[in-house]
Amino acid sequence: MAQPGGGRDWVARLHLPTLGVMLVIAAVWSLLSWRYGAYVLPSPASVVRGFGEILATGEVWTHTGASLYRILVGFGGAVGLAVLMGLAAFLSPRARGVVHDVLAVLNATSVFVWIVISIIWFGLSNWAPIFTTFMITLPVVASNIVEGVENVDRRLLEMGDVYRLPGREKFRSIVIPSTLPYLVAGMKVGFGLALKVSVVAEIFGVTSGIGYIMNYSREILETQMVFVWALVMILVMMVTDKLVFDAVSRRLARWR
Amino acid sequence: MAVKLQVSGVGKDYLIPVIDTVSFSVEAGEFVCLLGPNGCGKTTLLRIIGGLEPATRGAVLLDDRPVVAGDVHTRKVGVVFQEDRLLPWMTLAENVALVLKPLGVPAAERRAIARRHLGLAGLAGFEGYYPGRVSGGMRQRAAIARALAIEPDVLLMDEPFGALDAQNRRIMQTEVRRIWQQTGRTILFVTHSIEEAVAIGTTLLMMSARPSRLRELIRNDGRVERAKLIDDLNTMIMEEVERQQGGASA
Repeated sequence: MAQPGGGRDWVARLHLPTLGVMLVIAAVWSLLSWRYGAYVLPSPASVVRGFGEILATGEVWTHTGASLYRILVGFGGAVGLAVLMGLAAFLSPRARGVVHDVLAVLNATSVFVWIVISIIWFGLSNWAPIFTTFMITLPVVASNIVEGVENVDRRLLEMGDVYRLPGREKFRSIVIPSTLPYLVAGMKVGFGLALKVSVVAEIFGVTSGIGYIMNYSREILETQMVFVWALVMILVMMVTDKLVFDAVSRRLARWR
Repeated sequence: MAVKLQVSGVGKDYLIPVIDTVSFSVEAGEFVCLLGPNGCGKTTLLRIIGGLEPATRGAVLLDDRPVVAGDVHTRKVGVVFQEDRLLPWMTLAENVALVLKPLGVPAAERRAIARRHLGLAGLAGFEGYYPGRVSGGMRQRAAIARALAIEPDVLLMDEPFGALDAQNRRIMQTEVRRIWQQTGRTILFVTHSIEEAVAIGTTLLMMSARPSRLRELIRNDGRVERAKLIDDLNTMIMEEVERQQGGASA
């Protein structure tokens, strides 16, 4: 180790107790797998082997890419509309009331409703999972933005009035910086939801994506591949969380 | 000297009348301290003068032009609130420079002016700090620097040191007094501390209990001994507090 204490940091990052728990789980898993058979519960070793296979063939990128593309379109659209809703809520109290009610309804709607409707409307195409992702993540992101807009400190806006900052300047210097943390928090939760929901929607009607390949693996009785793709999903989630959202949050909090 | 600020017959009713009628005038370069029992409408009066709130009756003239709430006045007014109201995501220098933008000052000059006024407020070397990284006293000083940077015709201060401890308060009083002497601005300063008013004001306005009127206008020119002045003002404020409580129970 180049730095003193660097070694200990590295060990701390590994969360040693967690690692211990995982070893125990792996041991129990192996036992159960041996007891019930690979169709019901494939062994950890076969899952690792399967992961190696899709990495070697590049299949992992095809399906992850297809899922991510749908997520980015659906979730990106949701973020775009959510920002517009936040803007409307900021500009007019009447619009805020409407936005609140619409979000309450959307929040209460089940994923399955959107999956069924999107199949009816868009058939067996990319747009079915995209639409589902859009409708499910919209209320999550928009609720956060609207909350952020409502929490803009009125006293700071009054300060802006005292010094005659024009509306555009107040928006740029006061409203946007105070709403941004809410937007990022909403996007973080929204993206996690998008990944989970789009995969469910992919079970129906499309021929690529993590959801499709998981369901397909089940049908051809390759249970270990179901576990492999679940692992891929978890990795995608953790990596975007660390690389994207944590980095953005840190950047936003630099003045704290 | 020229009359800078004219407050004539100003009153304010919320659910109950808070300010009955208040009239006074302030000359350019005066340091006026506004005193009175809690809840007598000192802050409200200051907000009316600053154009942040409309008066129920009466008028405020700044350089002979009426101050209308919500309208842009031709004269510049700086306000220091009870809280610093700095934008936490901007450095102290950026906070000061921001309020110079609407005045059409070019960017390089904005930075120079911000530096100069932060220096004047004793914050040289802290220009690049975020408000969250400095003490409450320093934040309040930055807020004062921001108010002075626009070279206001009138500077309104609403208990600006209320949140500070006794030691910082003393330091800030001296600082404001020094800045006032250096810049010659007209200052209207709301406080509930008689000692503070006597220490820094040239003119002391004592307001009565709610619905308030102007009870006494005192020139703090050293002709009356400081200790006696503080005593007199204390007696007055206790009378007003009693009257306000009596009024509430009646």
